[in-house]
Amino acid sequence: MNLLIAVTIGLLTACGVYLILRLRTFPVILGLTFLSYAVNIFIFISGRLAPGLPPIIDKAAPGYTDPLPQALVLTAIVISFGMTAVLVLMAIGAHLGAGHDRVDLRDDAEAGE
Amino acid sequence: MTLALIAALPFLGAFLPGLALRAGRGAAALAAALATALALYGVMSHAPAVLRGEVIRWQAGWLPEAGLMFSLRLDGLGLLFATLILGIGLLIILYARFYLDAADPMGRFLSYLMLFQGAMLGIVLSGNLLMLAVFWELTSLTSFLLIGWWSDRPDGRQGARMALAVTGGGGLAMLAGVLLLGRIAGGFELDTVLAARDQIQASPVYLPALLLILLGAFTKSAQFPFHFWLPHAMAAPTPVSAYLHSATMVKAGLFLMARLWPVLAGTPEWTALVAGAGLVTLILGAAIALFKTDLKAILAYSTVSHLGLITFLLGLGTEAAAAAAMVHILAHASFKAALFMLAGIIDHAAHTREIDRLGGLRQQMPLTFALATLAAAAMAGLPPLNGFLSKELMLEAAAHAGGWVVVAAVAGAALSVGYTLRLWSATFLGQTRGPLDHPPHDPGPGLWLAPALLVALVVASGLAPMLLLAPLAQAAAGAVTGHVPHLHLALWHGAEVPALWLSLGAVGAGLALWGLWPRLATLWQTSPRPDAKAIFEALVAGALALSRAVLARADSGRLSGALAIAVGAMLAGGLWAFLTGSHMAGTRPPVPMDLAVLAATAVLAVASLATVVLHRQRLLALLFIGVVGLLIALGFAYLAAPDLALTQITVEVVTVLLMLLSLSFLPRETPAESHPWRRARDLVLAAAAGLGTAALAFALLSRDAAFAPISAYHLAQSKPGAGGTNAVNTIIVDFRGFDTWGEITVLGIAALIIFALADALLSPGPANDRLLARREDPGIAGDRHPVILVMATRLLLPVALMVAAYIFLRGHNMPGGGFVAGLVAAIALMLQYLASGYGWSEARRRLDAHLLIGAGVLVASATGIGAWFAGRPFLTSAYGYLHPWPLEEFEWATAAVFDLGVFLCVLGAVMLALAQLSRLAQRGGERVASAPHDVLAQREDRP
Amino acid sequence: MSHLVIAPILLPAVLAGLILLVARGIALQRLIALAGAAGFLALALLLAGRGGAPVAYHLGNWPAPFGIVLIADGLSVLMLLLLAVVALPVLVYTMASGWDARGRHFHALFLFLLAGLAGAFLTADAFNLFVFFELLLIASYGLMVHGGGAGRLRAGIQYVGFNLVGSTLFLFALATIYAVTGTLNMADLAQKWPLLPPGDQALARVAAVLLLMVFAVKGALVPLQFWLPGTYAAAPGPVAALFAIMTKVGAYAALRLGWLVFDAGPTAGMWAELLQPAALATLALGAVGVLGSRDLPRQAAFAAIGSMGLVFLCVAAATPGATVAALYYLIHSTLAGAALFLVADLAGRRGASGPVAALFMASAIAVAGLPPLSGFLGKILLLQALEAQAPLIWSAVLLASFLTILGFALTGSARFWKARGTAPTAAEPLALAATGLLLAGLVAMTLLAGPLTLWLKGVAEGLADPAPYIAATAPQSGG
Repeated sequence: MNLLIAVTIGLLTACGVYLILRLRTFPVILGLTFLSYAVNIFIFISGRLAPGLPPIIDKAAPGYTDPLPQALVLTAIVISFGMTAVLVLMAIGAHLGAGHDRVDLRDDAEAGE
Repeated sequence: MTLALIAALPFLGAFLPGLALRAGRGAAALAAALATALALYGVMSHAPAVLRGEVIRWQAGWLPEAGLMFSLRLDGLGLLFATLILGIGLLIILYARFYLDAADPMGRFLSYLMLFQGAMLGIVLSGNLLMLAVFWELTSLTSFLLIGWWSDRPDGRQGARMALAVTGGGGLAMLAGVLLLGRIAGGFELDTVLAARDQIQASPVYLPALLLILLGAFTKSAQFPFHFWLPHAMAAPTPVSAYLHSATMVKAGLFLMARLWPVLAGTPEWTALVAGAGLVTLILGAAIALFKTDLKAILAYSTVSHLGLITFLLGLGTEAAAAAAMVHILAHASFKAALFMLAGIIDHAAHTREIDRLGGLRQQMPLTFALATLAAAAMAGLPPLNGFLSKELMLEAAAHAGGWVVVAAVAGAALSVGYTLRLWSATFLGQTRGPLDHPPHDPGPGLWLAPALLVALVVASGLAPMLLLAPLAQAAAGAVTGHVPHLHLALWHGAEVPALWLSLGAVGAGLALWGLWPRLATLWQTSPRPDAKAIFEALVAGALALSRAVLARADSGRLSGALAIAVGAMLAGGLWAFLTGSHMAGTRPPVPMDLAVLAATAVLAVASLATVVLHRQRLLALLFIGVVGLLIALGFAYLAAPDLALTQITVEVVTVLLMLLSLSFLPRETPAESHPWRRARDLVLAAAAGLGTAALAFALLSRDAAFAPISAYHLAQSKPGAGGTNAVNTIIVDFRGFDTWGEITVLGIAALIIFALADALLSPGPANDRLLARREDPGIAGDRHPVILVMATRLLLPVALMVAAYIFLRGHNMPGGGFVAGLVAAIALMLQYLASGYGWSEARRRLDAHLLIGAGVLVASATGIGAWFAGRPFLTSAYGYLHPWPLEEFEWATAAVFDLGVFLCVLGAVMLALAQLSRLAQRGGERVASAPHDVLAQREDRP
Repeated sequence: MSHLVIAPILLPAVLAGLILLVARGIALQRLIALAGAAGFLALALLLAGRGGAPVAYHLGNWPAPFGIVLIADGLSVLMLLLLAVVALPVLVYTMASGWDARGRHFHALFLFLLAGLAGAFLTADAFNLFVFFELLLIASYGLMVHGGGAGRLRAGIQYVGFNLVGSTLFLFALATIYAVTGTLNMADLAQKWPLLPPGDQALARVAAVLLLMVFAVKGALVPLQFWLPGTYAAAPGPVAALFAIMTKVGAYAALRLGWLVFDAGPTAGMWAELLQPAALATLALGAVGVLGSRDLPRQAAFAAIGSMGLVFLCVAAATPGATVAALYYLIHSTLAGAALFLVADLAGRRGASGPVAALFMASAIAVAGLPPLSGFLGKILLLQALEAQAPLIWSAVLLASFLTILGFALTGSARFWKARGTAPTAAEPLALAATGLLLAGLVAMTLLAGPLTLWLKGVAEGLADPAPYIAATAPQSGG
């Protein structure tokens, strides 16, 4: 299963990287979402895999999965949610303000001497 | 008077003119003059001791870490220069008082002048090379202000920039040279450095140090090939030119060479570089001066030439030549300052400085004529003036050097005679040539007094050199060479002295040059000659163009390109780090595979790829990414992470809904605009990133941590220490509660930003106009009320709130907690918005979400602070059990209160975000305003 | 147990919460924010008054490395003090110029930014550092787009997008570190890092490189500097001024973790190896940018990049002497950069009046590293500290200075000297005073260079000898 999880992380990362390199805000946001999926699983697996061993203390439990990475992922999920929400609103604002949703700024007005 | 006070006086004096200006221009000038005179008096008070050969010192700590001390040191060399700077400075202030227009802000001008004077004085009084460098750059800066004084004139701005670039840049090189020198000598104190001649000349970095220092000196003193800035600095008001180019700025380079003469001079490198540059400059400057027609330009190139002469003398490396240099520094300062001032007077009177348009001023301005004649004669090196004395010494030194040096020296002297004659005759002799609007006349004493005093000095020191010139020059030469020379300054040394014949030859050749001038001028005009200024400007323009070309790429505003570079760098860095380290395959036994998992992963992969492939159809992409998120939540559940699963699923729902809403304001489709090769590049990068992370993940999964993870403690202490059985939750609210505190703060801030952003969109402006315009554009507005949601939410709301409460309460022991509870509650309310229309829900919203966020942060913080009262650190938790009848045993924990803060903050943040979106939607043509949702009513009618 | 250590984080955060709860009017918000900034300064001074010995604060009373620990040591306190000293004048400027009223929530975001920065400077836990990075980043996102407008929002999207990639990288790095070492506490990490078995070293190196890149994003090091010019130029002037310290967070983190953890074991010397070329390129780009930019805010932004190049050059040298230079220049460039951004804002809003021109001249001199202000002294310290590689580094540093001078002379003479079409309006006296206050800080740095470097020497020695820091954390052996 190790390989499967690793490939999943790789695939999600690849999707994310491809999308953040697009030229419009919406796919970039999708790409960042993908990256956050990928990294969340990555953090999670830094505690290794232990299916069926939830970190709920129980005298009968044969063992536990590492709870710390899970806690870290929770924090990371929440933070990336907040960031995404802000970015979405900024994208809306930029689109409404500029009339398009390109991420690149090429029409830099330059002031001469 | 201490040296510190002397050095400080000009800077203090810089404040005075501004203050005194209210009392009139005269008062301002008086204030500046007073400060200068006081400083001069201070210097003079030390003169007897210095002339006896003593060195006056003053020191204070400044930056000892770097060897920079605030050291002041007054020896013979310093005395000579300080006298020049302050003495001529005093005359310049007098002259400037009457020279400047009423429109020119006198206070500011004098302040700049005093700052410059202070910087110059600092250079010559520095007892520490680093401090000298400080003042050195300060002169570049202050001269920038002075040269660019008439800032509305393009030539003024350009001249100032050029001077700053050349002299400031040279100063940087000099700094490097000084640092090298200090490193060899073991310190930057002048006394230390001057004592380290042998180490310095034997050092392998002697040549680099010499080159760097000479770069500084040559740029400052306008030596070839850096001579070009000086004439362009003539755009400055004449008092500035008179000051900077006679006694101060350009002499700083000479001062530096003289100051370091004991440790740098005497090597073949020194002689070749310094004497060579000096000689070239001497001839080149004089030659150009011969063909200029602007009075100040002639004087400027003459200055270049005379600086070359002094440099040449210093470069010869003999004690006699160095002494001659000192004499000529004094002489040149006196006659050149006078000549500049007189040129200014002529400019004032005749409204032109072009000698082609002048002429016949002998009759109209007799006083000016008389003064100029004497000063010019000194410049030409005619007896009985001080210029003659120093020229004789120069020729004498050249004669000792012999060979081509003699020829060059005589040529320089001859050219000097030539241009002086031309300047003098064209200006004063003959008839008035140009049509002059106002007949010129001599100025009032305010203007002529200063040059007159200088001319008097020129004559007197020529006639009585042993009284007026020798003591100072001897003391200075003594400080430079270490041996006080016995100067025999006299107009007549006898006919057997070679200098006399050389001098006569030079005068004769000069007369010939003057006679041949028209023919020579034609020759000069037709001969090609590189224009150093044009080269400099081409260099600057080239640097500008190059930098803009770099910026066009480095500051292109293209996020995609930048991210591609960033991703590439990260991958390359990671790969490099891995390949340069030692690695062994892990030994952790793999977890067995499950077919169901494989299938689910396959679906996830398909959904991911579908998102990418179909990303241009945004709704569809959103749908697929939602599937991906849900599958990940399932995966977490399978992999023993129930909390993660819960959180992931709730966050996923909220995120997708948020993005769904955003699509009402964004285009529905992404146009295809990437070039195919760019897509290929992105695919390669994406694949590489995917491979990299996969490999990293695999490597980590197949090994255990090198050391026992700290989480073992968390598992062991979850129940006994933190009072909860859900270790993930106890970590979040207790062991690492501070992370969570930060996390909810992040969420709260996110909501605030969303609020502020939406608020900005709703206030008048182009964005708001477009929002309003969407009313007429149903294609974009679309329909935003999925019917199924509408029906479901009404039933779901109370249930969802109950679920939220349940999740919240059980969180400490089972999966759940404040965060998920907050999200569930928020989702329920959010669906309410979606279903019943923003307006309807908005009208029923009781609580300001700001309050929720603020309360959330405060409750969480207050819980943490509560521990202070028990004498514990922030966020220390306590728990216990209550037995409130009739309930069974009930556990309480302060961590739960903290969790309540989390709940409030999450709820508030999500609600605030939604409320803002709803306001946007309303403004953008949301049709449902106040009534309960009609779609729902219709559907309920026909089940 | 002294709560003073955590107070710089809590005070602004709680006051920000208070603003949300009670302060609807701008007047009350201003009052609270001022109180926050002043209180923050007082706290920083109190901490500085304690001396340089590291003081730990174990959150939740959990022993290290299991809980989160904050540590106030010389470097943290220095950064807090610098932050306080910059924040107060900038806040005053914001109020005087009316910038704060141009959008919502400026003061809450400002206070949250202080809290985030304070947390980043104080935390001794790697993941907690991430959380505070995010906290300060999101507050900065809000401040950056304060006042709205399409141009600012579009620049904001780039800023947020780029930094989100950086944050993702941070998480990858942290997860790798945890997976390899099983710990997140910095002191614990410092003890375990040199003991890593050979088989894990390559992975540890990967984590260290990724982490360095995260800090390089924050510190705007080439090739990860892209986000800075657009962001700083588009941000409201006073916000850009405040951001002058944001890049320094990257330098701070690199100094902290470089000295404490990563200059040992599998990664000994690695950061320096990577940092030096990047820093040189950064320095060059900054100088080229100052020369080639045509408007003041962008020029100031590139000057900020260039100053990071200088700071990182010293960081890369990794000697106590170079650290002193790095810290001195870091303080200097923060104050000078902030002043320059304020001047650019003044000139943009009010035109090139006399006082503004004077302030420009002073801050340009400071930024270009010319005397009489502290930049020159910083440069002297720096050149001497980097003597070992003099030909390359000296040429780069001096050439960059030269281009910077040239660039400022060009724009300065064009902007402030050229005959102006429209007469400038008088700038707000308080705004001028606030800008002047930052420059006065530079004057103080110049005059008190001796005592200051002595203090910085203590800080640098505290970095070079991590034993007291580790002892203060008192980590129990893991697990």
